[in-house]
Parts: sequence; C-alpha cells; structure tokens
Amino acid sequence: MSVNPAFEAARPATQAVPAARRFRVRAWLEREAVFSWLMLTPPLLFLLAFLGYPFCYGVYLSFVSRQVAQPPTFVGLNNFVNLWHDAIFWQAVWNTFRFTGAATVLKLAGGLGMALVMHQNFRLKGLTRALLLLPFIVPTVLSTVAWQWIFDPGMGLFNRGLMFLGLVEHGPSWLGNPTLALVSVILVNTWRGLPFFGITILAGLQTIPGELMESATIDGAGTWGRFRYITLPLLMPVIFIVTTFSIIFTFFDFQLVYVLTGGGPANATHLMATYAYVISMGGGQLGLGSAAALAMVPVLGIVLVVMSSYVRRA
Amino acid sequence: MVGELTWSRRLFGLWLPLAALFVFALFPFAWMAATSLKGNAELYDPKANPLWIRHPSLEHYVGLLRESNFLVWIGNTMLVALVATLISLLFGVMLAYPLARMRFPASGLLAISVAVAYLVPQTLLFVPMADLINRMRLGDSLSAVMLTYPTLLVPFCAWLLIGYFKTVPKELEEAALIDGASRWRAMTRVILPLCTPGFLSAGIFAFTLAQNEFLYALLFLNTSTIRTVPVGVTGELIRGDAFYWGQLMAAAFLGSLPVVLIYSFFVKYYVAGLTSGSVKG
Amino acid sequence: MARNRSDESTSRRDFLKVAAAGTAGATIGAGWRPHKAGAKPTQITFLRESSYVKEFDEHFKNVLIPRYQQETGIKVSYEIVAAGGSAVPRLVSIVESKAPVDAGWVQQEWLYRDGLLDVSDIAEEVGKQQGGWYPEIKNLSIWEGKWKSVPFGNIGQVMVYRRDWFDAAGIQAFPDTWEEFLDAGTRLKKAGHPYGMSMGHGYADNNSWLLPLLWGFGAQVVAKDGKTINLDSAETARAVDYVRKLYKDACLDDCLGWLDPANNKAFLTSQISCTNNAMSILISAKRDLPDMGKVTDQALNPKGPKGRFHSLVPVTHGIFKHTPDPEAAKQFLRWMMAPKQVGAWFASAQMYHAPFLHAYDKSPEWDKEPRFRPDLRVLETGKLVNWPAPADHKAGEVVSKWLVIDMFAKACTGVATKTVIADAVTGLKQIYG
Repeated sequence: MSVNPAFEAARPATQAVPAARRFRVRAWLEREAVFSWLMLTPPLLFLLAFLGYPFCYGVYLSFVSRQVAQPPTFVGLNNFVNLWHDAIFWQAVWNTFRFTGAATVLKLAGGLGMALVMHQNFRLKGLTRALLLLPFIVPTVLSTVAWQWIFDPGMGLFNRGLMFLGLVEHGPSWLGNPTLALVSVILVNTWRGLPFFGITILAGLQTIPGELMESATIDGAGTWGRFRYITLPLLMPVIFIVTTFSIIFTFFDFQLVYVLTGGGPANATHLMATYAYVISMGGGQLGLGSAAALAMVPVLGIVLVVMSSYVRRA
Repeated sequence: MVGELTWSRRLFGLWLPLAALFVFALFPFAWMAATSLKGNAELYDPKANPLWIRHPSLEHYVGLLRESNFLVWIGNTMLVALVATLISLLFGVMLAYPLARMRFPASGLLAISVAVAYLVPQTLLFVPMADLINRMRLGDSLSAVMLTYPTLLVPFCAWLLIGYFKTVPKELEEAALIDGASRWRAMTRVILPLCTPGFLSAGIFAFTLAQNEFLYALLFLNTSTIRTVPVGVTGELIRGDAFYWGQLMAAAFLGSLPVVLIYSFFVKYYVAGLTSGSVKG
Repeated sequence: MARNRSDESTSRRDFLKVAAAGTAGATIGAGWRPHKAGAKPTQITFLRESSYVKEFDEHFKNVLIPRYQQETGIKVSYEIVAAGGSAVPRLVSIVESKAPVDAGWVQQEWLYRDGLLDVSDIAEEVGKQQGGWYPEIKNLSIWEGKWKSVPFGNIGQVMVYRRDWFDAAGIQAFPDTWEEFLDAGTRLKKAGHPYGMSMGHGYADNNSWLLPLLWGFGAQVVAKDGKTINLDSAETARAVDYVRKLYKDACLDDCLGWLDPANNKAFLTSQISCTNNAMSILISAKRDLPDMGKVTDQALNPKGPKGRFHSLVPVTHGIFKHTPDPEAAKQFLRWMMAPKQVGAWFASAQMYHAPFLHAYDKSPEWDKEPRFRPDLRVLETGKLVNWPAPADHKAGEVVSKWLVIDMFAKACTGVATKTVIADAVTGLKQIYG
C-alpha cells in the first residue's frame, strides 16, 4: 500500500522531535477523547453563545404572554393550548407537511437524476454544473419576483405556453386557485433546491472509487446492477444527510411563500413558519409566535431521531 | 471507461436529460434576462412575447448602477458570504471530524445537540439575536451578519461533512497512524484532501445561503452602503406596491453571474480533489 | 455616507473607553452614542419605508437633511426599508432590542405603542398651526389620552379604472353604488375586461375595498367597545353573498391570491378594467404607458345601503422611547412638521400622502392633477381598518391573520356563507375571547 506523496514528505519532520516530555504531551493529544474535545470546544462555545442564548430566550417566550414593548406575564402552556384550538394553525401544519413532503421527494428524485447525468464526461462540464446551480444562487427574494410574472394569468410563461400549444383558451390561475397555489409554491421550492441535491450527490458520486465499478463490470454487473448494488449503497450517507437537511430547510422555508402568496389564498399555502411570523410580526404576540415556531421543533425531532440512529449505526 | 459509448446511449443517457434539466432550471432566467433588457412599455404590452425583446435597452442596468449602490452591495455580499463561509467551514470541520471518525464519551449526545441547533427556526431567534447584536454594539455593521450567519451555517456544514468523512474508509487513517503520523497530520494530510468535494459542496451551500439571507441582513444592516444585495435591492427597488421589475431582474442577473463564474471554476476541483487524494490499493 | 460610518466607529471606540472605565456597565442598551449630560446632540437616525414616489425620498435626502444640518449642525442619517414585509419586523426589532434609531415612520404602531414617546406637544402644536387634524386619525395616534405619534398623511386607496373600456361598455359615470358596480363589472367581464379586486394575503389593496364594502352594507367586525364581536349578522351575510357574486360574474379569477403588487401588474398589462389601489397605478401608467395614462381614472369607492366608506393607510411618525436624547429627536420632528418643511415634502410626492391637516385641503398641489382628487376626499369617509373598534394590537392581529379577507376569499371558492362567517368568528374569539 502506498501513501500519497504529501503525507510521505511530512513524515521526517515528525520524527525529528526527540524530547520525551514532548512525546508524553503528544501521546496525550493522540488520545481520541482529548483530540476530539480540543477540536470540538471552539465551535461549541460559538454555537452556545450565538444560538444557545437566543434559543433559551425563545423557549422562555413561548411560556409567557408578551406583547411587543410590554412586560411579560407567565401563562404556562396557554400559548400551546391556544394553538391547539386554532384552525388556521392546523391548516398550516397540514400544509407544511404536504409542502415539505412533496418538495423533498421531487428534489431527491430530480437531484439524483441530475447527478447521474452530470457524472459523465462531456465538454464544458464545469460551466454546465455552475449554470445548473443558478436557481440556487439567485437570491430568493429576486427569483420569487420573477416567478410572480411566470405565474401571471395572462402574461406568464406557463399560460402563454399553454395557449401557444392550443391546450387552453385561458390558462389556469396558478396563485389564485387554492390547490394550484400549493402546487405552485412546491414547484418553485423544487426548482430552487433541486440543483443543490444534484451537486451534493454528484460530489458523493465522485468519491466512489472507479476501481469498484470496474471490478463490478468485470464480475458481470449491468448498469442497473452497478447502480443498485454499488452506487446507491455508497451514496446513502450523502443522500441521507442532504435529504434530512432539505427537510429541515423546506420545513422552515418562509421567504418564498411569504413573497409569492403570503400564505393565501384563504390560507391554502400558509406554512407553520409563515404563520408563526405573522403572529409575531403582525399581531405583535411574541409569546404566541414563539410557541408556534417552537411547535415546529418536535415535528422535526422525529427527523432528528432517525438522524441520530444513523450516526450510531455508522 | 465503463460501458460502451454508443450514439443512442449518449443521446438518451446524457444529452436529452441534460437538455431537460437546462430547460427546467433556466427558463425563469430566460425571462429574467429578457425583462432586464426591455423598456417598461414593452414589459407591460399584453401582445408582446415574454421571451422576445423588440427594443433592447440597457436602461435598467444603467439605472441600477447609477441610482443605487448596487456595486457596493455586491462587494458587501461577497465579503460577508466569504467570511461567513470560511468561519462555517472551519467550525464545521472541527465539529464533524471528531463526530464522524472518533469514539469518545458523549459523542452521540453531542451529535444530537448540534443537530438541535439546526432545528431552531429563525422566526424564534431573531428578536433575541437583535438584542444580542445590539448589546455587542455590532448593529449596522457587516460584522453583525458575519457573526450571525455562521449560526445558520455551522450545523449544516458539520452534518454534511460528517457524511463525507464517513465515506472515507477507516483503514486509511489507521494506516497513516501506524506509519507514525499524528492524528492532526492524519486528518490534514490524508482525510481532508480526500473530502475536497465535500468541502466544495458545503462551501457552495454556505456561500449561497449567506449571500441569500434576508432577515438578519434586514435587521442588522441599516445604512444603504453596508447592505447586502437582497436587502439593498428590495429596500430601494420595491417601492410600495410598485416594483422596478426591470431593475430587479437586472440586479438578479448582475448579482448571480459572478457567482456562477466563481462556481464554475470551483466545481472543476470536484474531480481534482478526488485524484490527488486517492489511494491505490 | 462614508463619513457617517467613520463617525460611528469613532463613537463606538469612545464608548469602549467609557465602558472600560467601568461606568457604562449599567447603561447597556440605553446609549449607543457617547452622551454626556448637556452635550449637544450630533446625529439623528430616522427610519422610513421606501416611498413609491422616489422624489419623496430624494427630497428628504437632498433638501431636508442638508438644511437641518446647516441650521442646527446635527446630522440626520436616513434609513429606508422596503414596504410591506420589511418595515414591521425592522420596527419591532428596533423597539425590542433598543436599536440605535431615534425616530421614524411607525407603521402599525398599535404593535408597540408602549415603546413610543409621548409627542402630544408636537402634535397639538402642529395641528393648531396648520388647520387642525382630521378626526379619524386621532383614533390611531392618540392612545390613553396622549399622542404617541404625529400624523403625516394618508396613502389614498380608491378605485382605479380604465375609462375607455367603461365608456365602450356604455357606463358613463363610475358606478355610485355597489349594486351598480356589480352590474357594470358583469358587462365589462362579458366584454373581456374583468375587474381585478385583490382578495389575497396582501396589506392594503384587499382591506381597502372589502372593509368599506362590509361597512357600507351596515356590518362591522368588532364593536366600538373593542370587546363585542359583531361580525355574525345578516348584513355580513349579504356582503359575503355580494362578493361571491362579484367574484364570479365580474372578476378575473386570479385576484383571489393577489398580494399588493399583483393588481398593479394586471392593470398595467391591460388584464383588468378596475381595481382598488393607491395612486401608484395611475402614476406608473402616466410615466411608462402614456396611452393608458390618458384613459386611466380614479374614483371613490361605491356606496352601500349604509353609506360610503374608505379605508385609511395612514403614515405617522413617532419617536422611540429608548432614544438617548428625546429632546433632539423631538426638535427634529417639530422642525420637519413645520409648514416650511412639510408642505414642500408633501408636494415632492405629488400629494401621494394626503395630509391629515386641514390646511392642505385647498392646496394648489391638488389642482395639478384632478384625477388625484379622490385621494383627498378619502380623508372625509376614511376609517381605520379596525373601525369602529379601537386601534389596538388585537385589531392588528385580526388584520394580520387576514380573518375578514379570508372570510370573503373562502366564500369565493364556494364555501357556504354561514360556514365562512362562523370560521371568522371562531378566529375572532381566539383574539378577543
């Protein structure tokens, strides 16, 4: 087994430290727990300061009734009870699940396809990959403004296209029809997120050693067999992580829906994130708004349990 | 090469799907590009073709560059995104490496708490975060967002890198240790180079999110000359219910093309990272 | 700009010195500028939503700020944020975290009145000086007997319509009653020119016709006491039935999901013949589409059995309680509202903000474009969105949850009148319960 040249070159330097004391410190540093904690401490302190405090404050807010610029009063679980009886909240929960589920499945399937297509050799590969990332790069506030026109009933690309093909006389109302509005926001979310799935899975593909593929081919595996028994299992860690994070991101997606529909028409696209925001910012109910935001966490906790079991398995 | 590169295989396996992807991903940009080059009269003309420009004009680009601080916003955005990305990658590696490749007490619990940090919705955080930033006297400065963006990015980078670190066989590290390398060296010289694609995806992701972020930028960047693109553009090109459509689209275009060029340079290294770090057994 | 920044960093350094001396530990969050007792203020930060009329912001930046600095030596830094989604979270975070902003447009002030300074002296002085205030705005600015904000102007929401298409359909004058409005719309839609009446989750263009319609039919959401929920009534049912019919027979189906920019876009692309909006459509049409600009007109909302109503979109200015130098902020606000300054400022925006001060009722500015006149008359019949209930945070919650708007929108998707009213009442009970 030969090691890479950079590492080879580094070896003499290590051997040139003879002192015994130095060696003990080094041995101590070489213990897995010590090495780990030395690495972990700075980022953990950072997260504790910048996430820990705001998070605890947010949790505290969800147990009080608190208007903007007014002192809080402790109300226990009242905020959560209120939400439990709030029909709009439940509609937002249901919408969030449909939105997240549909968008994640679409992004995963499309992203996997994109990665497999781009894992081939062709000219201008770098530029192609970067161009396909465009939907992900353009700031959401700006791309969503463009989508407002693309969904326009008379002027939009969709309805113009449908009319051009002679399929309809007047196109449907993409953002005015409650069902279509949800489909539309799912479509835009998929459009924006798919390239990231593609590029992340592609990176995973690149780490699969070509030798494995070659030996599998020699053993008589076909394209599907290689994909099913080599590519997919090796990609699983990356797919798992990227899916999990996409679920979290989609679950919290606020900007896209807020700019495109504001949660309308008649709450058909209201998500938990937009509703929590509206309660805090529109009604000034910081306590209730925090409770609505916090209500998202246990749902995602389920995702988390799956993630942690994955960590332990590996 | 795997399989035979027949003509039909190439067509159905590469060119057709690639064309479909291009259409799906880029048709909104065709519209954006067309709109940024049209006068308002043509944009509003119900008979005009949305993708065709009859009277091309650069008025929106000129207006954008002349009347707003757009170039300053681009500079700010790039700077903020770069710093936030570097911080996030550094902290991400420091979290991910031990969690992915070491065994030590409480590692499981820690992995979970890092993920919990990620579950916290921004809507819950922004009021206390604004308070924190003001107490630190960082309000209205780029440092405010340089410090707050990593809170959104570090957990993600860490988890993504855990995924990549795990794909590297444990034997590689062990072989290096047996050869006398320290853990630090094994990490920096053997494992990390192997995971270059992972860094690139995490970095691209972090950079993109950072330049895209809206809420913290809105709350913490107030003077026009220190704003980032999303806040600067919406603050000055969305006026009441009237949108400066052409200038907004020009901004979307001018803002994202440099990033595409940078990325097209980096994505090449997906392959380079692989070959330079590969081990032949 | 660059100069401002360096000044600020200097002051930050100064602050650090003070903090190091151990004296500032207790004042954290109170003063971002070194402020010694008796020291002259050097800077004011003023926040505003970016105005539809660019000249308005430019007048402030290029005329008012330099003049104030020249007269007093005090620098004013002007922060503008985007309309709608951006201004309110920014304002809330300013109040909550005591961010370094002294004064500004306090949009949706019912959310955070307790964070605002009493400005009664300025408001009363300005009112006395310039013809007195329109009464309805007092219901917003005065809270518990004190003025918490100084009113500025109203962004008039009126009917904007295509006179050429109305003429072609044989409708000579703009419909005076809601019934006539429905008849006209039915004819126009048949002619291929439907109305586009916003009913989505926007800020202004939905409330600005649905609430006046509801009031015109004799219904109200919450009574004057701010407790009794009055929505469940025969009048409300009639209004809901009317809107359902209006939507079906006279409107473009897309308007159910419209946010505030959508009707501008639809009107300017000739897809709709009428909508309810601020002046921005007429101004855009005149600027970008001269042909359309000639045939676009504005009219008052139609009246219902119980009268004619409009909905106010008020602009007021307030001072944040946490400002380190209340007197400096007050001095600036008083100066800004003095006739010499405020008159020209109104004019710079073509009276886009109709002044709440009677002194401007006869201003020659109104004669420059007669089609803007309805925006002035809105002040006579205009009510706050919560009318007749007090403008408190509960009313704000009703508006921000779109309870009333969604009652109508749901009816348009085919849900029974009884059900949509019951749903809205359930939502109201959660808030007022």
